[in-house]
Amino acid sequence: MSVLIVIDQAPYGNWSGRETLDMAFALAAFDQPVSLLFRGAGVNWLRAGQDGATLQQKTVERNLSAAPVFGVEALMADAASLGRYRLDPDGMLAGVTVVDAAAELYRQFQHVVSL
Amino acid sequence: MPSEQTLSYTLVITGAPYASQAPQTALEFARAAVAAGHGIERVFLYGDGVYLASTLNCPPSDEPNWTRAWSEFLETGGIPGIACIASALRRGIVDESEQQRYQLSACNLATPFALAGLGEWVEGLTRSSRVMYFHGGA
Repeated sequence: MSVLIVIDQAPYGNWSGRETLDMAFALAAFDQPVSLLFRGAGVNWLRAGQDGATLQQKTVERNLSAAPVFGVEALMADAASLGRYRLDPDGMLAGVTVVDAAAELYRQFQHVVSL
Repeated sequence: MPSEQTLSYTLVITGAPYASQAPQTALEFARAAVAAGHGIERVFLYGDGVYLASTLNCPPSDEPNWTRAWSEFLETGGIPGIACIASALRRGIVDESEQQRYQLSACNLATPFALAGLGEWVEGLTRSSRVMYFHGGA
């Protein structure tokens, strides 16, 4: 079984992104192959240099940095969305693969989950 | 005609009752699946979906009580209903043991729901033939 977890909403506006990430970490904890795809406004999760202090929240950047430790297989970002939000590799977390979020990508997974 | 293969379903509800259509749509789906001979293996409440498991939901008498409707459906079918414990505690859905653990003034988890971790969802993914998600929408 392989699962793709999709985050398509900007961070900090609601809790669903964090709860989506928890799903990915749970799969990894139970040794199930899981990858994360950021698309749409969700690519803003990948911005480097976030500061959550005034929000009194841990940054999602920090949450995400735990992904490889938990055993999440890949962090992927949709190329078109990165362009729309003017994110380039220099301004992003390390270790993100740029992909086209299209049918061929989704077909590689048995389950695709997006909250 | 489609094949007569019977399927087992895990249903994941992430939308809250009275704020979204998710619990009602999921219940209609579950009833239809059972009527067609399929099985509901488990129902997993996640995110705002955990509000369905509050026994304190108290809609006006001329509106459906989705918590009661779901409880009856689960009890009749002997289907496990699980609310994600992390989602539930954040939102004030608490069973007796969590009430004691956190020394809270009350507990409100509706019967027959139980609190458990995301492992229950992972098990649903690996064991059920299909997993259906019922979201609240943006």
